[in-house]
Formats: sequence, structure tokens, C-alpha cells
Amino acid sequence: MNRRNFLQHTAAGLLPVFLGGYGARAYGQQSPMLEALAKLADLNDRVLVLVQLSGGNDGLNMVIPLDQMGQYNTLRANIALPEAKVLKLNNNLTTGLHTSMTGLQSLYNEGKLSIVHSVSYPAPNFSHFRASDIWFTGANANQTLTTGWAGRYLDQEYPGYPDKFPTADMPDPLAVQISYIASTALLGPVQSMAIAIQNPDTFAQLVGDKVSIDGGGDTSTPAGKQIAFIRQQQISSVQYAGQLKTAATKGKNLATYPTGNTLADQLKIVARLIHGGLRTKVYYVSIGGFDTHANQVNTTDTTTGQHANLMKQVSDGIKSFMDDLKMLGIDDRVAGMTFSEFGRRAISNASYGTDHGAAAPLFAFGNAVKRQVIGKNPDLKDLDNNNIKIQTDYRQVYAAFLSDFLGEKSTIVDGVLGKAFDKSLIFQQLILANEPQPMALRLFPNPAVDDVVLEADAFGAGVSAVNVADATGRRLSVPVSILSPTGLGMSVRELPVGAYFVSVETLDKQRLTARMLVAR
Amino acid sequence: MALITPVTQPLTASQAAHLLRRATPGPSAAQIKAFTGLTPAVALARLLADAPVPDAPLDPTTGKTFYDLPFDNTLDGPWRNYLKNWYVGQMVREGVSIRETMTLFWQNHFVSTAATVNDARLIYQQNVLLRKNALGNFRTFVIEITKDPAMLLYLNGNQNVVGSPNENYGRELQELFTIGRGGNYTEDDVKAAARVLTGWNQTGYRNTTTAAITTTFTANRHDATDKKFSAVYGNTIIKGRTGATAGDDELADLVDMILKQNETARFICRKLYRYFINDAITTDIETNFIGPLAQVFIEGKFELKPVLTTLLTSQQFYDTGLIGAVIKSPLQLIVGAFRQFSIALPDPVKDPVNFNNVTNFLNARAREQTQDVMDQPSVFGWAAYYDTGFYQKWISANTLALRAYYTDLFGKGNIKANNITYGPNALAIVKALPTPADPVKLIDDLTANFFAVPLTTAQKDFLIDNVLVPGLPRYEWTDEWKAYLADQSNAKTTAVTTKLNALFLYLFRMAEYQMC
Repeated sequence: MNRRNFLQHTAAGLLPVFLGGYGARAYGQQSPMLEALAKLADLNDRVLVLVQLSGGNDGLNMVIPLDQMGQYNTLRANIALPEAKVLKLNNNLTTGLHTSMTGLQSLYNEGKLSIVHSVSYPAPNFSHFRASDIWFTGANANQTLTTGWAGRYLDQEYPGYPDKFPTADMPDPLAVQISYIASTALLGPVQSMAIAIQNPDTFAQLVGDKVSIDGGGDTSTPAGKQIAFIRQQQISSVQYAGQLKTAATKGKNLATYPTGNTLADQLKIVARLIHGGLRTKVYYVSIGGFDTHANQVNTTDTTTGQHANLMKQVSDGIKSFMDDLKMLGIDDRVAGMTFSEFGRRAISNASYGTDHGAAAPLFAFGNAVKRQVIGKNPDLKDLDNNNIKIQTDYRQVYAAFLSDFLGEKSTIVDGVLGKAFDKSLIFQQLILANEPQPMALRLFPNPAVDDVVLEADAFGAGVSAVNVADATGRRLSVPVSILSPTGLGMSVRELPVGAYFVSVETLDKQRLTARMLVAR
Repeated sequence: MALITPVTQPLTASQAAHLLRRATPGPSAAQIKAFTGLTPAVALARLLADAPVPDAPLDPTTGKTFYDLPFDNTLDGPWRNYLKNWYVGQMVREGVSIRETMTLFWQNHFVSTAATVNDARLIYQQNVLLRKNALGNFRTFVIEITKDPAMLLYLNGNQNVVGSPNENYGRELQELFTIGRGGNYTEDDVKAAARVLTGWNQTGYRNTTTAAITTTFTANRHDATDKKFSAVYGNTIIKGRTGATAGDDELADLVDMILKQNETARFICRKLYRYFINDAITTDIETNFIGPLAQVFIEGKFELKPVLTTLLTSQQFYDTGLIGAVIKSPLQLIVGAFRQFSIALPDPVKDPVNFNNVTNFLNARAREQTQDVMDQPSVFGWAAYYDTGFYQKWISANTLALRAYYTDLFGKGNIKANNITYGPNALAIVKALPTPADPVKLIDDLTANFFAVPLTTAQKDFLIDNVLVPGLPRYEWTDEWKAYLADQSNAKTTAVTTKLNALFLYLFRMAEYQMC
């Protein structure tokens, strides 16, 4: 059961409750508010950005183990970055970044970047083709899947795509890829869950408004199936063209993006579409050129060359994107990750390059990031056939994004990923012994208009009070209802526009707080 | 009936059209007519016949060839573009032959991209090699492509030296060019193959003083030790050699070892099946088609013509359920439209400027529709031929829009060079039909050659009542047409032309037009 079904199910049997002295109004089974709330559950406004580094990125020259420079130099003398040129990170003496990654260095120092060390999967594959498919589909090394992991997530959230979409609640593409074609990662059970666009300004004009006629031919034959597929693509593109154009027109970029940087070009469009109001959940961008078998560095200066240029594009692209989101005031809603089909061999070859390898680090970025480092530098004296050994399974990273960032239930996450993976702790605060565990209270949509949903696993213990206070500290009465063991509905339609503090106390004496904006 | 058994009855019009749509870059109505009534075997003999080697590409600014000049850093970018334009032009200009279709197949099989190689002369030299071997012997082909200068550069074979081998080519040779993934070779086999292939290099690359481009073998850069392969290759040991012929001798052993595995013939046959027949390879197809076809390949000592003949005369190829079930590649759409209406390009030798202008336009359309010729996104080639979803990979909201953009320009007569329009003349085409005055027959006859799949009656009715004469009774068309025939003044001509042009644009935008 997905979250929407769950809420609809729960809402039907809802009884009035009293919480913290506020009398919750009794709502009938068909209450418009409850229906609205059930829908709101899908309007969690978080956005995931996937950044593919295609070709197999040399992780060992991206994230440098400053504690093992001796062995690092032994393994790859001809392409090693000089220690003095490696970018240092705040409060991290052992790990540094590639010389050209100044943008990501500052994101790290601001606490908005997480380095996940040595990501791979058991029995890694060294073929670009197969390894990419494994990352796209979320498969085991010996397993073939025909749908993408992000596609399966979207299918859970929006069942019935494409036939039953767009809807009033989801008028926008579920996923957008800034490309000519969509990645396998976004492939759903029927077709891609994504609309691939290159230029949101000209897309509507290109698509036109003509959808070719369906003569009701046989759609079960091989030809009929392909024709139905093409027709569906035509319908989807015509349906979504207007929404994309509206968002592209409404949206802005406030930051300055670098030029001559294909990744930055794509991220710039993404920022504009998010700001323009698209409710699209997943954006996908990519940059190629990472298959550096030869000449990945300039022989005269290893901090320059092919790989350095790629590192710079990735770093500048993500940094300007994050700056833009911050200036646009939407930075809390967005997080993303980089990934590549494999890392490269720890040992370099004679042509100043590196051959196909195994585990490599990846980056998670966004304000939601809570831990800066997951795992530790790979042990360069403990290699497997000169390949870096795995510390984190790539699906643990997917699980972290799905559950901790997008707020997906663990049963659904497990279903999407095929089994239960321990979440990588990217979005979880480091717990110190003398500090109570901070609790995650999810409140959405935020800014709120009329109805909001509060979600926290801690509600399971029982809720004793829900308090809402305005900026002056004045407490206000709002109707609250229980939607599920871990979800509350709250109507803010009587509240004036402004900023509020929401706090929820549980029977086991935990207090969870969130800031809420009401805007109309 | 076994799937691979040849069809011996003469080809019907629909079968002839199907064969030519798949085996050539696209047929005209006249070509379909000429092939109707031939037996499939005779049709194949014609398609496989030797064809004249095309003239080398010219630099339109000089009217001279450039492949035989020293490298020029300023001009190489334009040269690469002229070369790519010329290549698309060859597809349009090719006669009724399978050669360009197979040259493209191999260019997408043994990928070396112009953008990476960065020297137009080498890419042209490789293209000549691909065309020469396109219908030849696969063993010879693999050996020659391994030593091809562009390939040596593209997959770093030139940097593969004893002591620190570069594994790139050794891997792709097995994974992509011959035996394929799936436990057919091990990581150690990649390393062993790389050692076999040490010592090769080329000369002349980006050399600004000489036009000569050659392949060299340097014995002291070659690993002369024995190379032991894994159990999947029967623990073969390729004896390490020394001296000037060591490279060739070991390469021959390596290729023979790989070809000896049945999986290699199957791998190539599967790829041909997907290219020519359909992407769905069921267990039935694998057992009853790919297996026997691979056997033909092996027994024919890896000659390609018997395989193509078997493939394209088979019962399976003419299975009615599979006709029209392939989504056109961008080139099949773009080049096919030109050929469908017999639109001739400007002469590449007499009028290189306009030849380049028109082909440059076609090349740009192919690129934006994601089929950049000689510049695949990676060594895997175009995703539509290998990735999950296969042909559907060509299609997205974006590429469909770009396909429509192309056919709109084509249909409206907006592709022009030197005041000549390159597009269909809708009025002339309809006028040549048997009974253009009858809207029902007009649509029947016109759409018969337009699409790879038949339209339904409902679709034809829609085309008459909503596109040809929207909102009017059908006899209005007959009246208009007769009025035009009686008085071919501007006004009357415009009246029918406007309607026919709108009809053509609509036909091009139909989902059915995307099928091959």
C-alpha cells in the first residue's frame, strides 16, 4: 500500500480526537478537509536530483586519502596529485578533494556536502554497459531487472502512470531529464516515468498540439505495441508541454552559472523549473567523458588535464546550482547525489590513465545532509586485484534518499530496492552520548496554504500535545486530526499569513519542532 | 515451418517493401515495384551485389579531397563535419543495395568516434575499411579493425605496451566486438588479451607534415611471454612470440580462439537479428533461429553474405506480425524520407557546396534526434540497439518533437539550397495516383506506400473527414480536384495544394510513420 492509499484508508475510519487541550473538530467521513489531507500526503515537496558521471569516474583522484599519500603515490605516481595541491576540508585531516573542486570544498565546509566512501556492490562488474545497468536498475551483480530504481519509486508514488496522468494533484511530469532521452534509472513498469527535454523554452513549440489519431488498431501485436508506445509519448509530451512552458517562464535563475559547462547548463534548467513551480519529484542530469584510460592528466601538471576539467565541471556545476537554490529560497527542498558506474583501478597505467575499477566515493549534496563523511578512506594497502574494496552498497545510498530525504516508508523502500538495505546515514545527525537524539518532524507542504501533514516516527509512542505559536510566541488554536500512527493532519486555513513554530510533544516526553510558513 | 527456412515464393508488394525498408536506407515506390515478384533469393543477390566505391568526400571550399593531405589543426573540425555530411549523403545516394545499411551496422559495432579520434583523415580511412568489409569475412574484418589507426587511438591500443598493458581494447574486443558479456570471458582473459595485443601503434596521426597514415608493430613493445586464458576458453595458451611478425601471429591466434567459441557467432547473429528483424529474442528465437543462423555463419567460415541471405529470406523475416514492428532510427526517418520520394541530392563532385549544405542539414537533424553519425555516445554504440527498451530508446517527448520538426520542414518544402527545394511535391505525387478524384481511393493508394503498417478504416476515415476536407462532405474534394484539372490556374491549384500539404504533414506526424 502506498502512502496515499494508506491515508485514504485511514481517513475513512477516523474519529474525532482531542489533543493537548485543543478540541479537534469532528470531521465526517467525507470531509473535504480529510480528502485534501489525504492528497496532501503526496505533496511532500522534496525534490531529488540525480547526477550521472558517465564512463567510470576515477574516485581516487576526486577524493584523496591524505593519510596514505605514500601508498597513493606508489600506486599512481604518474597521475598522483601533489599533496600540497589537494584541497583541505574543515575538521577533516585525512581526506581532501581534487584541486579543481573548490566549489564542493566550500559546500563541504558549509555542511552541505557528504562524502560517501567506497560505494559499490558485491562482485562488481567492469563492463560500462552492465555496471551502468546495475546502478540504474538497483540490481545485484548477477541479476537482471527491466525497470529503474527511481522509476519503481515513482510508480509506487504515482500508480497508474502514464494512463491516469496528469491529474489535478500531479499536473506535472513525474520526472524530468535534461537530455534527448531518458535514463534507464527512470524506467517504470510500462514506460519511462520521465519526460526528456532539452530546452523548456522551445519544447512546447516543437511538440505542437497535434496528437496523431488512434484508429483503434490491435495493440497486442509487436507493431501495435510500438505504435501505442509512440502515441502515448506524443500524448504525454503534448499534455506536459504547457506545464513545462509555464514553469520555465515563471522560474528564474539568480546565481551566475559557469559557461562551457554542460552539467551547469542542465542544472540551471533544473533550478529554474523547480523555482517555476513544477511538482516534479526527480530530476536527472548527466555528464560524460569519465572513461579515462589514457591522458587523464597533463604530464607536466597532474592537477590539470581531462579529469581535472571534469572535476571542475562537476564542482562548479553543483556549487552554482546550490547557490542558485539558496538565492531562490528553495534550497531546503532539494538534495542530490552523484554516481558513476564504477571507479577506476587504484594503480594507474603507463598511458597516464586508469583502467576500469570497482568501488569509488560519491557525493550527496543539499541542506538536508547531516553527516559529512560516511565510511573512511579506502585502505590502499588492502586492495582486491588493485581495486578498491566496497564499504557502502550503492543501494544503501538510494535507501537513504528514499526514506530519509523523500520520506518514503521503509516497506516501500524495501520493495523498490528488492530487499531491506541499511540506510546510509547521510541524512541522520551524528548522535553524541551526552545529547538527546533530535527527532525528525516532517511538515509539508511548507509554505502551507490550508492543510498540512505532520509526520514523525516518534508519534508512534502517542501524541500528547500539538502547539502552534506565531512569531510573537502567541499560541494559536488549530484543528488537528490523527491520520495514521505516525501522521497528523492540521488545518491552517484560519491562520494569517506568516511564520509559525509548531511543536509536538509525545507521551514519552519527546518534543519535536518545525518552523512553518503560511503563504497564500 | 522452421523459422529459418527460406521463403521461396515471389515477393508480394508488401513483402518487397518490407525487405527494402529493412535492408536499404529506404525504398521509393518504383523500387518496391521493381522488387515485387522477385523470389527472395534473387532479391538478396541483387541487394548483395558489388556496388561502386563512392568518391572520397570533398572540402566544398576547395572542391578537393582532404583525406590525402597532412593534418591541419584549423581545418580538421570542418573536415570532420564534411566527412559526416558526406557519410549521410552516401546513404541517400546509395542504390538498391544493403551495403550502406551494413556499413552503418559495423560503424555502430566497431565504434570509433570522430570527436575522440580527432583526425578526420583517420575516420575516413576507417569508414573505407568498414565499407570494404561490410559484406566480407568477419574474421578478416576483426583482424583489420584491430589494427586500424582510428581504432588503435579510440580504444588505446596504441598505448598498450609490454609491462603496463592498457586493457581497453582487450576488453571491448571480447565484450562488444566478438563474444559478448555473460560469463564468456573473465577479467583475467581481458588482461591476457591485452598482453597479446601489445606493441601496435600508428603513424601519421595529427601529423602536419605528412599525409601518410600507417599501422606499425614494434617488437620490443610487445609482451613475448605466453598468455594463458581461462577455462571458458578451454585454458588456451597463446604462445608468446618475438620478432616482426609476433603481433600478427598472436592476433590471428587470439581471433581464432574467440571465433572458436560458438557464442561468438551467436552474439553477432543476435545483433543482426535485432538490427534487421526485431528486438525481442525469445527462447524460441534463440533456439530455432539464432542457433541455426550461427551455424550458417560458422560453416560459412564467417562469410557475411550467407548469413545475411539466410536472415533476409527466412520465414521469420517475412512473419506478418513482425512487419512494421521496428521503430525507425533517426537515419531511417531522415534518409528514408528523401529516398521514399526519390529526392536527389546535389552532385557531390560537381556541386560540392550545395551537396554539403543539404547533407549538413540532414546530419544536424540526425544528431539532434540522437543519432550523431560517427559520434556515438560511447563505445557501446547507440542505445537503441542494445539497451533496455531497444528501439524505444530513440523515442522521447523531445525526440518525437524533433522528428516532427524535421518532417514538417520536409513536408512544407522548407529544406532548400540554392533556391532548390528538397521535399515531396504532394500535388505531383497525388496526381500520379490512379484515381485521385476519389478521396477514399486517394487515401488508400497514398498510404499504401507511406507506412510500414496498414492504417485502420477508422484512421483513413479520419484522414478524409478531418484532415483532407475537414468539416465538409467528401464530394467537395472530388469537385475541387475536377475544378483543378479543368482549370490549373493559381487559385485552383492552391486550393488542392493547401489541402494536400496539410495531409502530408499530418501523415508524417502520425505514430505509424515512425515505424519501419
